[in-house]
Amino acid sequence: MRRIGVFVCHCGINIAQNVDVEALTKYASHLNGVVVSKNYKYMCSDVGANLIKDAIKEHKLDGIVVASCSPRMHEHTFREVVTVGGINPYRLEIVNIREHCSWAHNDREKATEKAKSLIRSGVAKAKLLEPLQSSTIKVNPDALVIGAGIAGIQASLDLANEGFKVYLIEKEPSIGGRMSQLDKTFPTLDCSSCILTPKMMEVANHPNITLHTYSEVASIEGSIGNYTIKVKKKPRYVDLLKCTGCGDCFTACRLKGRIPNEFDMGMSKRGAAYIPFPQAVPLKALIDDKNCLFLTRGKCGDKPACAEACQQKVINFDQKEETIDLKVGAIIVTTGYDLLNTESLYEYGYALSPDVITTLELERLISSSGPTKGEILRPSNQQKPKSVTFILCVGSRDETQCTWCCRIGCMSALKHIYLLREKLGDIEINICYTDIRSYGKGYEEFYRKIREHKANMFRGRPSEVRNMGEYQKIDIFDTTTNKLFEIKTDLIVLVPELVPRSNAAHFARLMHLTQSGDGFFLEAHPKLRPMDTFVNGIFIAGCCQGPKDIQDTVSQASGAASRAACILSKKELQIDPLIAYVDEEICAGCGLCVEVCPYEARVLNEKTKIAEVNAALCMGCGACVVTCPSNASIHKNFTKKQLMNMIDDIM
Amino acid sequence: MKKYVFYPGCVIPTEQYAYELSIREIFPLLDIKLIDLKNFSCCGEPMKSVNQMLTISLSTRNIAIAEAENLDIFAPCPMCHLAMSECKRVLDSDEKMKERINSFLADENLKYEGKSQIVSIIDVLYDAVGLQKISELVKKPLKDVKVAVHYGCHLIRPSEIGRPDNSENPQKIEEILKVLGAKPAYYPEKLDCCGGLLTSNLPESALTKTGQKLQAVQQQGFDAFVDVCPWCHRQYDSKQIKAGETVAAKLEVPVFYLTQLIGLALGVNKEKLGLEFNLSPVDKLKIG
Repeated sequence: MRRIGVFVCHCGINIAQNVDVEALTKYASHLNGVVVSKNYKYMCSDVGANLIKDAIKEHKLDGIVVASCSPRMHEHTFREVVTVGGINPYRLEIVNIREHCSWAHNDREKATEKAKSLIRSGVAKAKLLEPLQSSTIKVNPDALVIGAGIAGIQASLDLANEGFKVYLIEKEPSIGGRMSQLDKTFPTLDCSSCILTPKMMEVANHPNITLHTYSEVASIEGSIGNYTIKVKKKPRYVDLLKCTGCGDCFTACRLKGRIPNEFDMGMSKRGAAYIPFPQAVPLKALIDDKNCLFLTRGKCGDKPACAEACQQKVINFDQKEETIDLKVGAIIVTTGYDLLNTESLYEYGYALSPDVITTLELERLISSSGPTKGEILRPSNQQKPKSVTFILCVGSRDETQCTWCCRIGCMSALKHIYLLREKLGDIEINICYTDIRSYGKGYEEFYRKIREHKANMFRGRPSEVRNMGEYQKIDIFDTTTNKLFEIKTDLIVLVPELVPRSNAAHFARLMHLTQSGDGFFLEAHPKLRPMDTFVNGIFIAGCCQGPKDIQDTVSQASGAASRAACILSKKELQIDPLIAYVDEEICAGCGLCVEVCPYEARVLNEKTKIAEVNAALCMGCGACVVTCPSNASIHKNFTKKQLMNMIDDIM
Repeated sequence: MKKYVFYPGCVIPTEQYAYELSIREIFPLLDIKLIDLKNFSCCGEPMKSVNQMLTISLSTRNIAIAEAENLDIFAPCPMCHLAMSECKRVLDSDEKMKERINSFLADENLKYEGKSQIVSIIDVLYDAVGLQKISELVKKPLKDVKVAVHYGCHLIRPSEIGRPDNSENPQKIEEILKVLGAKPAYYPEKLDCCGGLLTSNLPESALTKTGQKLQAVQQQGFDAFVDVCPWCHRQYDSKQIKAGETVAAKLEVPVFYLTQLIGLALGVNKEKLGLEFNLSPVDKLKIG
C-alpha cells in the first residue's frame, strides 16, 4: 500500500479565493492511501518545499500529490523537491486546481467540489505511478541560425564568439536583412549601414561561422541535441570562391536597368546579373534565373554577355541546385517580417499614384546608395516635394486588417521628420497619427526634440486619399479639434503594419512551430520563455516573433543565443522518460504507429517485425497509444490502468 | 430565362420613373423576366435609426412574399437592397430573431426561411447576365463617351456584410460601361457622397455635396455621369440646377441611369428609356 501525501497550495489568493483550501485539505486526509495532507500559501516557495520534504521523511511517503497550478508552470519545481526529499520524481502527480477550478469558476462551493474530485483522481493515479529513470543523449554542439538579418547576425556572432560552430543560412543573395535597407536608426540617428556593415563583415570572416546565402530550409529531422536539416542552395551561376565582385558582368548584362531591384523596393532597376547592393555580403555577383535571357530562353545574343565580360571566367550556367545536410544541436529562427501589402488598402491611394510610397521606399530614397543617391524626389516627376505627409498605422490597430501595433511606425516617422528637414529644409510636413507611441529608452526625449521641427500633427485616420494629378489630397477628421481637414500634399508616405512573412505558415509547418493568432511564431511563454518555442531546441528572435525595433531585436537575438548555448554547452542531455514504449509480446507490427507519429520517433524493425520507439525523438504526445489497435503502444505513467483508475475515482 | 421578383421600393414608382422604365425595357433583351407581386411594404431602411425591429420586420415581410414564389428578389434601389441584405444577414445567423420575426408574420401566413437571395442591379447585370452577353447585344456602342461613375454608398457599404462590389475600389459598373464601348475614367471624387441623405435636416449641405461633385466632374471634361441609385439620381439629375446655384456654378452634366445607357447602346428607342424624365441636359450626349 502506497503512503501518499497531498499538498494543497493557496497560490496567494489565486486559488484560495474561489476554492476552500482548508476543506480540500481535510477532505484529502480521509482519502484511501493518504497519510498526510497539508496546505500552504505558496507551495512553490522554499517554505512550501520544505513542508513537502519534511512530510516525506516524517510520514515515510512514497507518493506525492500537489494540488496547485498547471503542471506547465511548476511540475518541474515539485519534481525537484520530491527528488531532494528522497522519492522518485515521477511518483509526483500535479492536480491543477487553479486553471481548472478557481480561475475558471465563480461559484466557490462548486469549484471546491470540482477540486475535490480532481484530487480524488490525482490520488488514484499517484497510487499506481511507477518510478522512472531518465536516459541521456549526446548533444551536437553546433548551431543553425535561419535568417541573416540583424537578429540572425547577432545570434550567430554571440554563439560563434562563445566557441560554438554556427551555420547561418539566408534566403536572399546577401545577408543584412531589413536593417541594411534603412538609412538612419532612431532615436540616436546612427547610420544604419555604418553600424551593420562591420557586423556583416564579422560574420563573413568569423572562423566559427559557415554562411550559406541564397539558401532555404527544405526539411528538418531529429530533436533537441541532434537535428538534421536539409538546406536547398539555389544556384547563383557564379563561382562564389573566384568571383571578385568587380561588376563587369552586370555592366554587360543585356537586361541591365530592366528588372526592378528588390533591395530598393523596386525603385531602381538592375540587370539579370547583379549584386543586390554595394555593401552586400558576400560581395559576389549572381544571375537571376527568373529573368536571365540565357537561362529562360537559352539564347542571349551570340553568347551570354556576362560570361563574355567576366575576366575571371567564373560564370557557370551549368550550376544546379544543391542540397546539403547540416547536423546541429539547436536552431535559432530569425526570419523577420514583411510589410502589409498597401495595395490592399485602396483608400490610402498606394495603387492610385506613384507619389504614394511606403516608409521602406522612403528609406531607400533617403539612402545615399539608393535609387536617387539620397535625393528625396517625387517618383512621378523627379522633383523635390514641397509638402510631405505621413500616414501612420496603415492597417495597424485595425479590426479589419491587423489588430496589433507595429511598434516602430511612430518613431520611424519622427526620425523621418528630422531627416526631411535636414535634406529638404523648410517644407511642409504633415503627420496623420493615431497616438504617438514613444515608449523606449530615449524615445520620448527624441519625440520632444522632433517637436521643435514643426510638423503639422493630425490625430486621426484619413478617410480618403485622392490622386489629383499634380498633387494628392487627403481627407482627415482630426479628433483633437473635431474638424474635417483637407490636406494637399506632394508626397504621401504610408507607414504600414509589420506582418508575418508570406511563407510563415509553410515554414511553421516545416519546423513544427506554432503561430499565434496574428501569424507570428509563438513563444513558449510570453513573459518567462519569450525566445523558446514549443519545440525543444528551437528558439525564435526578432520580428518573426512579433514586430519590434532594432534594439529589442538585438536583445532578443542575444537572449536566444544564450538559450541555445544552454543546450549546446552540455555534452549530454537528460530526456524526459514520460514517453511511449512497446509491449513486444503484444505488438503485431502493423505499423499504424509509424504513420501517425508526428515526430518520426516510431520505426518498424524489419527483422523482428515489431514497432520500436526512438526515445530521443519521442515527445510523449500519445498519438501512437490511441492509434494502436492492440494496446501494445503504452505511454509511461499514462497507462490504461492508471487512467481508468483515475476515471473510476472521479465518477 | 432567369426570373426575379421585382421589388420597386418607394422612390422609383413615385418619382424616379426613368429607372423602372429603362429596367423594364432592357431586361427582356437580356433574357431576364421580372415578376410583379402585390402587397409589398416599405423596405424599412428609413426607420432604421429609430426602430431597428420595425426595419427588420418590414424587410423580412417583403422577402417572405418573394420566397412564397420560390424566387430571388431583385431590388434596383440600393437602399432597399441594403435593408433586405442586412435583414437576411441578421436572420440567417440568429435563429431566435428569425422565430420572433416569423411570429409577427404568421398573421399574414408569411414565413421567412432564408432561401431567396437579395439581388442588386449589379448582381443582375454583371454576375447573372455577364459582360459577354451584354457585349454581344451592343448595337450602338457608346464610342469614346467619357463617363464618370457614381456608385453611391448603399450599394458598396458596409463591406462587412458583403456588398455587390468592393467598398473602396468598386469597378463592376466601369467594366459594364467598357463593354458598351464607353470610356469610364478615374476621378478623385468618385466615392464622394451625393448628399441626398442630408436633404431633410441640412438641405443646403446636401446640395453643396451634390454641386461640388458635379462641378468636379464637369471640370474634368466628362461627357456623362452615371448612377444606379434613385436617391443619388434625384440629387444629381433632378436637383442639378439647384445644386449648381448652391455652389455658384453653371452645371450642365448629363446624368443617366446605368440602365438607360445600356438601353441606348443596345439600340433601344430613347423615349422607351424614359429619357424625357431626366432633368439634366441628357440631350448633350450624342450617340450613334
